[in-house]
Amino acid sequence: MRLSLASRLVAREARGASGKILFFVACLAVGVAAVVTVAGLSDGVDRGIRGEARRLLAADLAIRAERPIPSEAVRAVEALLAARPGSRRASVHEMATIVSAPGRDGTPGPSALALLKGAEEGYPFYGEIRTKPEQAARRALGPDEALVAPELASKLRIGEGDTLRIGGRDFVVRGEILSEPDTLRVGFSLAPRVLISFAGLGRTELEAFGSRVDRTMLVALAGRVDAREVETAARSVRRALPESSGVRVQTYADAQPALRDGLRRAARFLGLVALVSLILGGIGVSQAVRAWLATRVDAIAVLRCLGVRPGEVVALYTAEAALLGLAGSVAGIVAGIGMLAVAPRVLSGVLPDVPLSVWQPQAMLRGLALGTGIALAFSGPPLSAVRLVPPLRVLRREAEPLRPGGIAAILIALVLFAGVWGAASIQSGSHRIAAAFTVGIFVAAALLAGAGRLLMAGASRISGRRVRVMLRYGLAALVRPGAGTLTAVTSLGLGVLVVVALALVERGLVARLRAELPARSPNVFLVDMQTAQWADVQRILADAGATHVTGVPIVNARLVSIDGVPVAELVRRRSGGGRREWILTREQNLTYMDALPSDNVVVEGKLWSDPGRAEISIERDFARDMGASLGSKVVFDVQGVPQELIVTSLRTVDWKSFGVNFFLVVEPGVLDRAPQMRVAAARVPAGSEQPLQDRLAAEFPNVTLLKVREIVEKVAAILDRLGLAVRLVGGFAILAGIAILAGAVGATASRRGREVALLKTLGATRGGVVGVFFVEFALTGLVAGLVGTSGGCLLAWGVLTRAMELEWTWRPLVLVAAPLGTIALSVIAGIAASASALRKRPIEALRSF
Amino acid sequence: MTVPRIQIRGLSKRLPSGNALLTVIDRIDLSIAPGEFVAVLGPSGSGKSTLLALMAGLDRPSEGEILLDGRPIQNLSEDDLALLRRRSIGFVFQSFQLLGNLTARENVLLPLELADIEGAAARADALLAAVGLSARGHHYPSQLSGGEQQRVALARAFAPEPAILLADEPTGNLDQATGRLVLDTLESLRRDSRATLVLVTHDPDVAGLADRRIHLRDGRIDREERRIAEPVA
Repeated sequence: MRLSLASRLVAREARGASGKILFFVACLAVGVAAVVTVAGLSDGVDRGIRGEARRLLAADLAIRAERPIPSEAVRAVEALLAARPGSRRASVHEMATIVSAPGRDGTPGPSALALLKGAEEGYPFYGEIRTKPEQAARRALGPDEALVAPELASKLRIGEGDTLRIGGRDFVVRGEILSEPDTLRVGFSLAPRVLISFAGLGRTELEAFGSRVDRTMLVALAGRVDAREVETAARSVRRALPESSGVRVQTYADAQPALRDGLRRAARFLGLVALVSLILGGIGVSQAVRAWLATRVDAIAVLRCLGVRPGEVVALYTAEAALLGLAGSVAGIVAGIGMLAVAPRVLSGVLPDVPLSVWQPQAMLRGLALGTGIALAFSGPPLSAVRLVPPLRVLRREAEPLRPGGIAAILIALVLFAGVWGAASIQSGSHRIAAAFTVGIFVAAALLAGAGRLLMAGASRISGRRVRVMLRYGLAALVRPGAGTLTAVTSLGLGVLVVVALALVERGLVARLRAELPARSPNVFLVDMQTAQWADVQRILADAGATHVTGVPIVNARLVSIDGVPVAELVRRRSGGGRREWILTREQNLTYMDALPSDNVVVEGKLWSDPGRAEISIERDFARDMGASLGSKVVFDVQGVPQELIVTSLRTVDWKSFGVNFFLVVEPGVLDRAPQMRVAAARVPAGSEQPLQDRLAAEFPNVTLLKVREIVEKVAAILDRLGLAVRLVGGFAILAGIAILAGAVGATASRRGREVALLKTLGATRGGVVGVFFVEFALTGLVAGLVGTSGGCLLAWGVLTRAMELEWTWRPLVLVAAPLGTIALSVIAGIAASASALRKRPIEALRSF
Repeated sequence: MTVPRIQIRGLSKRLPSGNALLTVIDRIDLSIAPGEFVAVLGPSGSGKSTLLALMAGLDRPSEGEILLDGRPIQNLSEDDLALLRRRSIGFVFQSFQLLGNLTARENVLLPLELADIEGAAARADALLAAVGLSARGHHYPSQLSGGEQQRVALARAFAPEPAILLADEPTGNLDQATGRLVLDTLESLRRDSRATLVLVTHDPDVAGLADRRIHLRDGRIDREERRIAEPVA
């Protein structure tokens, strides 16, 4: 068959099928819109970050460390500056600390945790700091001036010209800081910003030995430099650094690798949620194609009589499905573009603050490919029967299409499975996750279809009994040929499953965070405390009524070697970097104690059992990640002094106890004279956390008090906002389920019209007919709701108890609301889709008999 | 000797009926010459339509041979049978079987396009004119009367100039006057095209037009009648 004829036939075939085409397109468009929205946001934000990369680093090059930047790096930077006259550098130090407003009449002023940033003149080299009033940022900050975040100003009730106390020194508030170029307002900051000059930071003396400070040296190279030149400069600094120094050298071209990595992970998860909607769309497509082909069997038989070959018939209808798939995908892309246009407003605070374009070609292409692919994969099963339509049907109507044989059926199932797996691989970027997803979807769909069959069997049995007439007709409607009960239950149920599972996991997480802390757990932590201050701090804690006070020393050190293998070599042996490398090169926190706290259990070896050698006890999982085991010799550099320790015990720690715990605990007597700080935890009565913080801020401004409740609330609020994004994407799945139910009803519209006409002719009122429909759709919704909710509970239970090791709580509200909501949606969508049948006067429908 | 257009040897067709096999066509031998008009008569269930389906390769025989122009067709693949129908066989059905989503003209055009015949549009228009429906070419089947639909079906059947035309009760769904008009049209088109026509009917008047009448009973040829001694070559 010539292509031109084939395309004419495809075009003619679409005539008079606008209803079915609309349904086909709508089913697919919902899923494609979800896919395009997620991919478009992810690509758009990523592109936005890369586009603003220089501003987001505020420099061309940044050297970062959790301790003073090694002199080798500083010398390398100086060499760079010398080689390129006009180049500049600026140091920026950041730390968490408590700041306060001055007190009055001997009572300390209000205090708050803040993220303090001390920046040298020149910062930022790119981008700008926006302030209120605007002119506050025009000149460099003086040593006694500060800019504060608006939320801090309102919390401490201070404004422009007022005094802010940082580290016991007074600063004048010059204005409020609205935005910084190198901070993406993603709502993930746990404390508000305070910006002071480098000289100001020096005045606070907060960088006392042992305080946790993130240090960054920013470099702006003179002239117009491109990414390659900056990378060359970065390499020269990296080369100068000792191996595995823990110092990171970033160029603007790296563009926030950690943030982008996090966004990519989020996009992959949400991508799979979006794919569920698309797969539901696929189920709808399959149903639409089946219904459409059922009306075309006679025409196909005629075509066969006219000499169209079986393969040509399949090709013709496959091309039709592909074209409709394309149309559905394009409609979905247009809807996705609309979603991308409103997303920044709906998700403000969740998305990073970068310009976001609605034009995302890659996401559109992905939507097009997945939409068309899913449409074709799900059209496969009904299309495969087209080949078997016998031309004999033109003479003998009872000649039905044959069922595909065993091998053909297996092949079709395999193509469908492969299609879903391929789509999931694209969305998740992992073949393994995609396989689990595909199996999960098929198992859930099979369970739902099984429940649908049970419903139909039950309905068929009950409808024969003496029950009320409305109920009997409603039940009979569920089992009528082509009723679409199975499809409706499966698709709606899958949508409910996804939404319920997402809601339960989110609620489970937030509830765990917000749960009352165990009665003996500490609710405040004190860090950055000098050893000499501990006695006085204990007194203040006692005054505040604190109980369960524990304070332990903390010694900063760096890992040098394990069993004689230097860290640099260990890093080289591990590919992939990330956490496994960071565990080796990070600043390690060591403590020492005689007996372990009760939430620690020694699972291998014996604590302090070798009198001849200095011992260390390591948390079991941490030891595994480090690559150390019982008997390993580990060497630490304790601020310039090498210390060899032997691993004599491995422990497990119950981190959920909120106690002060360490991965690395050293035998007492070994580190007693090493430079050290103290960290403490206590439980203070409700309401005394803030006065305690205010008093500590006044008397020991270097001590940082962390309130567990406050941090938990911040994390819960962030989860809540992220949950909004997840719920929005999950909502597409319900929408797709509803579209399919409505489509299933629409496919039986003419039959329904005749039934309504007959019922009305026999004396049924319109209300009575609505009652029949109500029974049918309510039962469909009930089964989909119950099975979907059960599946959602099972999935959430698995994620919460197995993957996250949290406790499972039954949530009666969800358990009741989800099935009821499903019934309501099913009834509304079903009756709305039957509206034309209900409106028809009996004579109109009877004429068409 | 001229090769018969259709030759049937020992043809049987059995269909499952419950647990048993029902013999619908029972060892039939038949030879139809080129250009011959054969009417197949018989009561319901005598196997008329099945015989027609077997001749067209729409169904496969249980036993025996069917040769079209000397070439056996019972073992051809589905694709080859389709190509054979495309080039050599035209159909007219009792229920018209026009494609509802195509206009009258497109219905006539379709077999011409499938056979890739040059000047398809002109031939389709000429055929529509020949059946008296020039003005209705843009109408869809649902907008035409039964007689008009059947005339479109006739135009479609003759469009690719098939050597064989198979007609299954072409006037069965029409009133007498319309049926007559359709038969006249059929006869006129057949004469012009010199096609072999096999027409299934149980209307003796319709059968009276044929060169030969074959009466089937219980799947067998009960008797044959000829209008004239030799078929028109």
